[in-house]
Amino acid sequence: MANRTSAAQRPNGSTQGKICQFKLVLLGESAVGKSSLVLRFVKGQFHEYQESTIGAAFLTQTVCLDDTTVKFEIWDTAGQERYHSLAPMYYRGAQAAIVVYDITNQDTFARAKTWVKELQRQASPNIVIALAGNKQDLANKRMVEYEEAQAHAEENGLLFMETSAKTAMNVNDIFLAIAKKLPKNEQTTGPGGSGQGRRLVEGDSGAKAAGNCCK
Amino acid sequence: MSATLLKNSELQFGATTFFAKEHKGETCGSNGLPLTPNSIIIYGKAQKLKLFKHPNLCTYLDIIRGKHERTVIVSQYCGVPLSNYLNKEEFSFEDITKIAYQIFLALNYIHEKKIVHRSLSTENILVQEKNNIKLFNYGLFYMTDNGKLVSFPIIQLIYAAPEVYLDGPNGNLSNPKVDVWSAGIVLAELVLNKPLWQSLKVGQRIRKVLSLVQGNTSIFERIAREHNCYEKYLSVPDDLKQVIEDCLNIMPCDRPTVDTVLKNELFAHFKTVNQTNRSKICEPFEQFTIEELYHWWQLAGGDVLLELKKQGLIRSSPPILSLPQMVLIDGSILGQERNPATLYDSRIIQMPLEGLYQRFEHIPLNCYYPLIHSKSEILSKADDSSYNAEKLPLVIREKDPEHQFHRVILLRRLLHGYPYTRDLIIAESIKDIPPLLRGQIWAALLNVRGDYQQEYIKIDKETPTATDRQIEVDIPRCHQYNELLSSSEGHRKLKRILKAWIYKNSQYVYWQGLDSLTAPFLFLNFNDEAKAFACLSNFIPKYLHNFFLRDNSAIIQEYLSKFSQLIAFQDPVLANHLESINFIPELFAIPWFLTMFSHVFPLHKIFHLWDKLILGDSSFPLHVGLSILTQLRETLLASGFNECILLFSDLPEVDMEQCVNFSLDTYSTTPKSITARTQQSEKSPYIATMDIPVQDLNKEKFPRISVDDVVSLIRDDNDRAIIVDIRNPTHYARSSVKGSINIPCSSITFGEINIENVGIHSSLLKKNKDKIVVVIGSEEANLDIFPKFLIHCHIPKVCVLHGGFNVLLPITPTVLIQNQI
Ligand SMILES: Nc1nc2c(ncn2[C@@H]2O[C@H](COP(=O)(O)OP(=O)(O)OP(=O)(O)O)[C@@H](O)[C@H]2O)c(=O)[nH]1
Ligand SMILES: [Mg+2]
Repeated sequence: MANRTSAAQRPNGSTQGKICQFKLVLLGESAVGKSSLVLRFVKGQFHEYQESTIGAAFLTQTVCLDDTTVKFEIWDTAGQERYHSLAPMYYRGAQAAIVVYDITNQDTFARAKTWVKELQRQASPNIVIALAGNKQDLANKRMVEYEEAQAHAEENGLLFMETSAKTAMNVNDIFLAIAKKLPKNEQTTGPGGSGQGRRLVEGDSGAKAAGNCCK
Repeated sequence: MSATLLKNSELQFGATTFFAKEHKGETCGSNGLPLTPNSIIIYGKAQKLKLFKHPNLCTYLDIIRGKHERTVIVSQYCGVPLSNYLNKEEFSFEDITKIAYQIFLALNYIHEKKIVHRSLSTENILVQEKNNIKLFNYGLFYMTDNGKLVSFPIIQLIYAAPEVYLDGPNGNLSNPKVDVWSAGIVLAELVLNKPLWQSLKVGQRIRKVLSLVQGNTSIFERIAREHNCYEKYLSVPDDLKQVIEDCLNIMPCDRPTVDTVLKNELFAHFKTVNQTNRSKICEPFEQFTIEELYHWWQLAGGDVLLELKKQGLIRSSPPILSLPQMVLIDGSILGQERNPATLYDSRIIQMPLEGLYQRFEHIPLNCYYPLIHSKSEILSKADDSSYNAEKLPLVIREKDPEHQFHRVILLRRLLHGYPYTRDLIIAESIKDIPPLLRGQIWAALLNVRGDYQQEYIKIDKETPTATDRQIEVDIPRCHQYNELLSSSEGHRKLKRILKAWIYKNSQYVYWQGLDSLTAPFLFLNFNDEAKAFACLSNFIPKYLHNFFLRDNSAIIQEYLSKFSQLIAFQDPVLANHLESINFIPELFAIPWFLTMFSHVFPLHKIFHLWDKLILGDSSFPLHVGLSILTQLRETLLASGFNECILLFSDLPEVDMEQCVNFSLDTYSTTPKSITARTQQSEKSPYIATMDIPVQDLNKEKFPRISVDDVVSLIRDDNDRAIIVDIRNPTHYARSSVKGSINIPCSSITFGEINIENVGIHSSLLKKNKDKIVVVIGSEEANLDIFPKFLIHCHIPKVCVLHGGFNVLLPITPTVLIQNQI
């Protein structure tokens, strides 16, 4: 059986708590494990033969943080460079992004850096960006040093963790860390999420989406 | 009434089984992916053996994977092992020469295909009528990657050449000369009419073979003397004796190749005879093949694994008995008793065919020879047993042995006549496509012709390119639940086909998804890579014209707009809902269309979908998309954006037959111009008349219909359309389409979405279900607001005449009523 993330399982004593909804996007070179991270986070599963992503996939997951319930609306994008032109459609209006690379492949790290640059230039100004060095379980085949990535993260004000979708290491943690860092000073009435999608494609609406909740 | 044609003594098969070696310790390969189980590697490699067709070889039919790396090989198995004859009946020298000739012919055939038998013996030479022989189990060494994928040695004591022993028990010597030695031993046994060293124990037998290495007198002679057969030896005709002695040279380099042996004068007189004496099965106008017989046998309930269980070849032991006593941290296992079942078990189980014979007993002989061009009344009257399964659901028809019998026999014949019979193949495929012949039928439907193999050979599939990394990371994620596609052979083939396609189509590039698109073709033509490539190459221009351009955004955009318009046309309620939650096709339908659904469905569903798709034109996929939405309609209508998009991230079970039938339905009732695109490879009359930029058309919520389609609606089938003329009454009175209604646009208040606003004609529109509502106007502005209004009022089948009323004037005076005022 798939176990839900521990965060989601945590008994939430107060129903009074705030409910916040965030749009989060995963970016990174193909086959670094974006879909695998999401699958681990949302369903607690790992598929060795995870299918490649075409276009993008959408999933949601809720985590509890003290008295706040944080609902992530996750867009998992296609990694192939050619699908790049679709990416803005997904990161526009996102409040958080995880940029993923594969620690066993230097090129994917270079690609991650360009994603970070693009986000800093084009995405919402307050976007919380996390850098995830995935496939940590393959550390014996490592090509990207932890320190190198960490230095880059510090310079750019990113959250950073090495993760493994396979062993689940740091997967929940990185989402939780993002949840903590997101501003949560405004309370929304509830997760009537249906409105979120609309903003996704309306071109000029990044700011509006961010304003919807938790601002 | 009989199954006599089925009861051919050569149309029999049997099975053997063994275990592939399990991976010990590390389970991840260098790419971080789990190691492919050896049984899957074998599975992939062994496919090629199915291609081998030779009168002196048993045909390989199937490879089945069981639990725990068990592998079962199903192969033609008929006749009596040669070993049964030794010591009993004596063959004449002439007979022996004939047998020898056939053994060498068979070995020559496999050696030419770069395969070494390595376990030739009198056990696996099967004697048929008239001393014809067939080799059995000649592929074991090859399929196990020269024995590397199994934990037992592949060797036949006595028959193995000395160098095989010297190579050690784990050796994988694959010099074809080892087979020449084994053939020599077989012939020596035949001539002496004695199994060699029969009374000795295993170790002693090996010592005997190795002892032959010493000394330099004739080995054949020494063997004869040891078996007290020197007399016999002397009586052997010199030419035969010479061949045997040549084969039994200690040094492999001194042994002749099979090819050379065949040139020997000894065999000269067979060469002319042989041509006329070919096997009965498998030549151009075969009624059916042994593969087909095996297929029907399975459908009729035949179960190889069950037979093996019955005969005790597969035995299950409690799992607890197979636990090791210790497992080290690196995964290596200690203190596990060796399961004797993992050793090689040479038993062969003949599969019982009586059940099938009985089942097909009543099928009259003429069913084996279906008439194709001329229909005989006499025969069809006499044919009281004509079998009709057409009403049954597709999945049941595919499992029905008798239905498949008729379908396979018929389509096999039609395929023999391809390309001349292509129209007939199309006509039959509309009914259903027998799974066994699907690969060939698809190729015929896709018009694969001529020299596709030569074409494929010429293409560079090896030179590294920048796309390789993407292909390499995609292949291990592409339909990997499937044994063929997850085998190493499958990976190699898929990569080659993809590289070939990109090389051949330099105007296009690799988009993720091309792998999924290729997978069904590779699966169906696993042993004919070139054909898989040819199918792909013909499929893409037809359905995915320009989709794989480096910048395909215009193509995708037009496609998705057409999709939205089709939804609005067929199901305005759904369209309005999806629009209101902004659930646009860009978010979910790209993988559908870019891969023609091959990325979203498992193979068995893709087959049923593409069976129909391939018969339709490039607009069919749009209807499939619509049909999927329709199946999920209730859920979609009740859901908001998040729920809807979640639904498609993990597509729920779709009933494929229902989906396909619904698609066929809307496909046949939707005028072609509704779905016509500028970016399709087929010519469309609608497009020719287009004078509005595509980008603007794409923005429209409703589809346009061409003047030709409108005219044919009015003329042929007036009942199918409601023609709504929205021009002002004066114009309408001057000239109008016969039977049209006038709803002057200027008379309507659009502010409130209520169909009553259109006045007296509202009830006609409200009642409408199936009729096509063609809106005819003259001013572009009205042409936008009015149809949108109708759609918002949930009126189905709304479309706009492209070009407005004036396009009717010159073309069809007959459809108009002119009033001179
Ligand atoms: N060993 C190991 N393998 C992983 C890990 N995460 C993902 N993988 C494997 O890496 C491959 C690619 O993972 P995906 O999740 O499909 O990668 P992706 O980034 O979504 O790729 P695209 O959809 O092409 O953009 C799969 O075969 C996964 O099984 C991990 O943490 N450890
Ligand atoms: Mg992915």
